[in-house]
Amino acid sequence: MTSIQMPQLGETIVEGTILKWLKAEGEQVERDEPLFEISTDKVDTEVPSPVAGMLTKIVVAEGETVPVGTELAMIDSGDGETPAEAAPSGATVTSPDSPTIEAGEGSGAVPSDEASDASTAPASAPSAPVSASAETPTAGAPSLPDRGPRSQILSPLVRRLAQERGIDLATVAGTGTGGRITKADVMAAVPSGSGEPAASQPVAGAPAPSAPAQVAPPSIGAGAAEGETVEPLSHIRKAIATHMLSSVNETARAWTMVEVDVDHLVKLRERVRDAFLATHGVKLTYLPFVVRATVDALKAFPMVNSRIDGENVVTPRAVHMGIAVSYDAGLIVPVIKDADAMNSVGIARAITDLAARARAHQLKPDEVQGSTFAITNPGPYGSLVSVPIISQPNVAILALDAIQKRPVVVEGDAIAVRSVVYVSMSWDHRLLDGEVATRFLARVKQNLESWDFAEDLGI
Amino acid sequence: MRRTWLFEPAGPVRYEASNKAMHDLAERRLADGTPDSLILLEHPPVFTAGRRSRPEHLVWSEREAAARGAAVHHIDRGGSFTFHGPGQLVGYPILHLGARPDAVAYLRALEDAVIRTGAALGVELHRRDDVQTGVYAGDDKVCAIGVRLMRTRVTLHGFAINCDTDLSWFDGIVACGLPDNGVTSMSMLLDRDVTVDEVRPIARRALADVFGFDYVQAPPDELERFSPSLVA
Repeated sequence: MTSIQMPQLGETIVEGTILKWLKAEGEQVERDEPLFEISTDKVDTEVPSPVAGMLTKIVVAEGETVPVGTELAMIDSGDGETPAEAAPSGATVTSPDSPTIEAGEGSGAVPSDEASDASTAPASAPSAPVSASAETPTAGAPSLPDRGPRSQILSPLVRRLAQERGIDLATVAGTGTGGRITKADVMAAVPSGSGEPAASQPVAGAPAPSAPAQVAPPSIGAGAAEGETVEPLSHIRKAIATHMLSSVNETARAWTMVEVDVDHLVKLRERVRDAFLATHGVKLTYLPFVVRATVDALKAFPMVNSRIDGENVVTPRAVHMGIAVSYDAGLIVPVIKDADAMNSVGIARAITDLAARARAHQLKPDEVQGSTFAITNPGPYGSLVSVPIISQPNVAILALDAIQKRPVVVEGDAIAVRSVVYVSMSWDHRLLDGEVATRFLARVKQNLESWDFAEDLGI
Repeated sequence: MRRTWLFEPAGPVRYEASNKAMHDLAERRLADGTPDSLILLEHPPVFTAGRRSRPEHLVWSEREAAARGAAVHHIDRGGSFTFHGPGQLVGYPILHLGARPDAVAYLRALEDAVIRTGAALGVELHRRDDVQTGVYAGDDKVCAIGVRLMRTRVTLHGFAINCDTDLSWFDGIVACGLPDNGVTSMSMLLDRDVTVDEVRPIARRALADVFGFDYVQAPPDELERFSPSLVA
């Protein structure tokens, strides 16, 4: 029997997805005949069989993503070879006739390039109202079989996980094929109470591009307990994960909150809601007010509207406002271009249009890039306080949470019931300091509390 | 040095024709002593969809795209949608990667060759593979890269450098499935008309520097793969 494993197509490729089995169980396959197709985050290929024989068992189904070295199938080549003697990771795809590539200069420094490139933030990383909980896909407590001779063969994923979490692999019992240490074994060895693994990663060791997507579905038998379902992460989810993590890794995030009395805004909206819809064809929410108030504050504090570009600070004159929109595939941040040239009606229209088209998957590329600042609005879902992740290269993101009636102290030391809301901002301490951030938020608060928006609504 | 057949067909080559030629050459590269190949060409307008394409990344419908003169081909490379057309230098290196193929090192080397091409023209380019491979100027992609390996060993597909491409074609797609990144061209970056004819010899030389190509003229019967009957 020959064990077929997920080949390693490059030092930094740690996992692959089975696109298609080209042979069914029970079928004969020739040596070097294509057996299955895989897709990695870098490259697709069909993989030939290393031996002639019968495909006796497919272990990993189409669509599943597994770490390099995972056993995918068994081929009975009729020579009585035992699985434990099969070739190690990657070697299953060697061919005897192959010359060695003459790699040019520059192609050798792959791992370090990877690490530094992975830390480059995308232009418009989506932002989330709250950071995702880091659920660790720990497998159910495995029994500990004998450690076979292959227990020293480690996939890059296992090596990295162990390094990141400070696990001495010599102390870990492997439960994989032939006693190999699997990802689940490493995760099980993490001391309980060690917190979120993502947050404890060293910043300098920026993760490989696919790192946030390491929640590879466990292969059959090793993973999900009863009552759990296992699905591969979508491409968009992986992209969001990468963007989020790179923002967390690269920004010095600080957070400031103010309380804003929006009583008059609530009353205004109640009064004009129907007329606004009738006149302009879109619903009036509080978001346009907040965008207007924020744009003014950005004009007063241009630093908050800027970005870091290498050794420089780039400060655009215009305000392009990113608005976080959740949709079925995840989260996207469409941009209201030149928001500083719009009144509340224009902003309301733009938000309605962008959100609708985001949810219909009809945004154009240039509509989701180039934001200079972003606003997330988890309030409608009831959150009182959120700590958003900065949508890089922006240096700040404002969160609008739920408006609530609360008892507040008003003029004359009286207590009154007012509609109030917490408005907060995550900001990058690399560029901004607490004074600017707080004065900026105070300006937003002052605008929202003192402006008469009625004239701005065109009704 | 690697003896390498060089194919530089004159005029645009239909996508189906060069796609078949590329696969045939790769099969032969695997099967016998055929040398590596490098194909440098232009295509008539065409959209190609890789294995990771998602329908929402096609902004125009396939019918609409075809009506504008660019059919959508679903092909076997990785990645999402891209566009090929006049003003774009497309390169298909067909290389045997050896006994321990390292796809990442190959991609890095391809990017390196394109970055060198940019440098020779006076444009500073860089890779941004936090999400995907390719070569960028700032946030904008100037060169798409999409690769597939045949039986894990021989490279298929390749790169596409926008020289003076009409970039409005990219309105039809979310290029490479990345809504966050725009598309640009050498002409845009240099603010003058930079043609495929200008870039081709520079790219040819940069690829030779990076991969150690020793170009030889492909035999006449091989060149016929790109004969005028196959040229659009």
